[in-house]
Amino acid sequence: MMLRVLLLVVVATLGACTSVRPPQEEPAPVEDRSVQPPTVTVLPPPESRPLPPEPPISTPVPEPEPVPPPPRAATPSSTLLASVDNAMAAGQLEQAAALCERALRISPRDGHLWYRLATIRFQQERFNDAAGLARRAMSFAGPDAKLAQDSQRLLQQAESRN
Amino acid sequence: MVWGTLFGAAWFLWIDYRVRMDFQALKWALPARIYARPVELYAGAHIGDEDLVDYLQRLGYRETSRVDGPGEYQLEQSLVRLRTRGFEFWDGHEPSVYAEVDFSGRHVLSLRGNQAGLDLPLLRLEPVEIAQINPETGEDRLPVSITDVPPELIKAIIAVEDQRFYTHYGVDPIGILRALVANVKEGSIVQGGSTLTQQLIKNLYLTQERTLRRKIEEALMAVALEFHFSKDEILTAYLNEVFLGQDGKRAIHGFALAAEHYFGRPLKELKLDELAMLAGLPRGASYYNPLRNPERAVERRNVVLASMLEQNYITADENAAARKAELQVTSRPVNRGAGYPAFMELVYSNLESDYAADALRTEGLRIFTTLDINMQSVIEAEFEKSVKAVERPSSTEGRLEGAMVITDASTGEVRAMAGSRQSGYTGFNRALHAERQIGSLIKPAVYLAALESPDFNLATVLSDRPIELKLDNGQLWEPHNYDDKMYGDVYLYDALERSMNLATVDLGMQLGVDKVTKMLTRLGHKKSVQPFPSVLLGAVNMTPIEVAQLYQTLASNGFRSPLRAVEAVTTAKGDPLAWYGIETEQVVDPASVYLLEYAMQGVFERGTGKTAVPRLERSMPLAGKTGTTNDMRDSWFAGFGDDLVGVVWLGYDDNRESGLTGATGALRVWTDMMALLDIQPRQTLPPADIMMDTVPLQAVRDPSERNCAVSESLPFQSDRMPDVAYSCEVNDSFFERIIDRFRSQGQ
Repeated sequence: MMLRVLLLVVVATLGACTSVRPPQEEPAPVEDRSVQPPTVTVLPPPESRPLPPEPPISTPVPEPEPVPPPPRAATPSSTLLASVDNAMAAGQLEQAAALCERALRISPRDGHLWYRLATIRFQQERFNDAAGLARRAMSFAGPDAKLAQDSQRLLQQAESRN
Repeated sequence: MVWGTLFGAAWFLWIDYRVRMDFQALKWALPARIYARPVELYAGAHIGDEDLVDYLQRLGYRETSRVDGPGEYQLEQSLVRLRTRGFEFWDGHEPSVYAEVDFSGRHVLSLRGNQAGLDLPLLRLEPVEIAQINPETGEDRLPVSITDVPPELIKAIIAVEDQRFYTHYGVDPIGILRALVANVKEGSIVQGGSTLTQQLIKNLYLTQERTLRRKIEEALMAVALEFHFSKDEILTAYLNEVFLGQDGKRAIHGFALAAEHYFGRPLKELKLDELAMLAGLPRGASYYNPLRNPERAVERRNVVLASMLEQNYITADENAAARKAELQVTSRPVNRGAGYPAFMELVYSNLESDYAADALRTEGLRIFTTLDINMQSVIEAEFEKSVKAVERPSSTEGRLEGAMVITDASTGEVRAMAGSRQSGYTGFNRALHAERQIGSLIKPAVYLAALESPDFNLATVLSDRPIELKLDNGQLWEPHNYDDKMYGDVYLYDALERSMNLATVDLGMQLGVDKVTKMLTRLGHKKSVQPFPSVLLGAVNMTPIEVAQLYQTLASNGFRSPLRAVEAVTTAKGDPLAWYGIETEQVVDPASVYLLEYAMQGVFERGTGKTAVPRLERSMPLAGKTGTTNDMRDSWFAGFGDDLVGVVWLGYDDNRESGLTGATGALRVWTDMMALLDIQPRQTLPPADIMMDTVPLQAVRDPSERNCAVSESLPFQSDRMPDVAYSCEVNDSFFERIIDRFRSQGQ
């Protein structure tokens, strides 16, 4: 029994090790042989993004407080995506995916998040998952032609490798 | 004499060997701990101040007038100040932070950290532990290393149990004498002579034997243990091993778990008086149990404090303050072991393919589930009342039963579940096992299969007229409408909204029943269904969770994500063993699902679900479908908003008539629950190839009879527009509409 769990640990660790690179001082650009590097690293604040919007809330958005505003308003998504970048740079792909999923639970209709998760799965060579996620990203692209194009390209690459 | 010495030496060597081996291999069987999904706070998060306070109380947070330490909160009108404890999640460490959460209604208005004015973008709280899978021994503990144990606790234990712990060699003759004197003086046993090392040996080799030989053996073992291991190693083992209470079948071992058990808080957060109380427990965990015998526990605590003062471990002031402290043990029932049995069954079934039952009981695995504890609490509190409210008076025994499954609309994660109308029921789990005919709940699959085909659109005219079908076995099948009426020529969308059986059979026979059964498979149904015509009206047995899978795929616009209850599993130390991430596969094109959803939203706007609208006004539009089976044996409703999918089944276990339709039974329960959960309106955007067209309100087969004076606008796929002869749009050419479409897309 112990053996069985031990085996699981070993398998899980090995799985993680294969893609682990030593942490670097600066987040290295995500390297990928066949896919364009993800275009979304840290998303700009929502107001400057085309679509889809953050889910509306039924309460009115508060007026800016009189206190000096923070230099850059971080959203849950942008915060998590910054962590995704760090995790990717450290080669922690599964952790990066988990962070992406956290962001998706908050903004499930954000095509960029689905696309980002698709690129991570692609790097993990989980091509089937990557294809499904890329299609999902496309379905939320709306008029964002760039996202639609990127997702389409990723989809084709995932399907050809599958 | 020589033989005797040799024998004694051999005995000691044997004892020495045994103790060394056993202690080195010392590994406790640790129960698996199961956690609910953690609450995430951010501006706009869908949670109210009461929900947050309830959640914090489940975590054992203390309400204070000033938030100083971790695990404390303060509520001031709609503002909650708190300091989290931090948590080792499977995907990373969450540090302890201070936050101020401002609410507006059931939403977070703002979230701030301790620097004035600086918004905190996101905060993940600790997860609530909902259950455990206990070892067969019933022993439970939370192993801690000595560095995580407050020094006051160690001092208290040493003061009261073994003052010469750091100087003796396992046994303490002076200590025995002192204890003897003290006990004679008091006339009762107030001190024990056993060292902590001896007590540890007694706990590790649990025997009831009280012979001299046994005593000598224990003493020798203690000496051997001291010889090979450091004081810190021995003390750590003692702190984790010692028995400190009984909770039903579960034995509380070690101080870390005792802190959670008696105070609902981690050891690190306890104050001197509370630590002293715990230090008094090894003498008699049941006799001094603070939950049952609070006076004795306080008395014992004060004895411990007095010993600490005597040893100069605390000052007279500290002693006086701690003696005055009121005993505050946790009053909230801890939902361990039996918490949420219906959901836990799903967790087990998700885990059993990857983990042996034994690993779950002994390896201390930490299992992170998808359960939304606030949502589950609403269901636990309200589902039964709601079922009772629709139950028809019955002259015979037995009562109306029910089940409910709630999933996340985009990820397939199961958020809450009821396996019976009675909360906490551990018997037959209807949500997972009650296979019942689904009736009209199948119709979306029929209509979706049609809308995928180029031959059908929402304005296709169907015939709602009596129909006779000769089945393969030679029998004649004559389906009827639920209300025995006939509606003649009807539009496809109208037939779904008002759940017309005859029109559905007309559609299904044109389409082919096999397309419908294949659609069920694509939507996520795992069992094979024979393509008999009766399938078109739902003569298929499914469990509520199987239905939830189908509707989950519809809610996520044709992307199927397998329903799941487990997100990740880690070792006791927090190293990840398995992740179960979001999987998603497109099984139907989004345009067809969009058209289907138009009609499923119409179920609420115009069809069989419209009675729910007044109570869910804020949540509209929603999409759903009612289901009623023959003789009203089953009452179903399945529906979804932007965030949630919910399936409700009502019926009797013995399959008798319930007297309820989908609309008069399950829909009402669904509405009650979804209103409480504040389900969010659908925000489905039309895919690129959807265009609107106007058709006469009344469906006609002959275009010359069309009456455009009363018309309506419907969505269509651009390559499947209604015949121009039926369209009521006169001033607008087809191409102009396409151009308009692109214009609106570009905006």
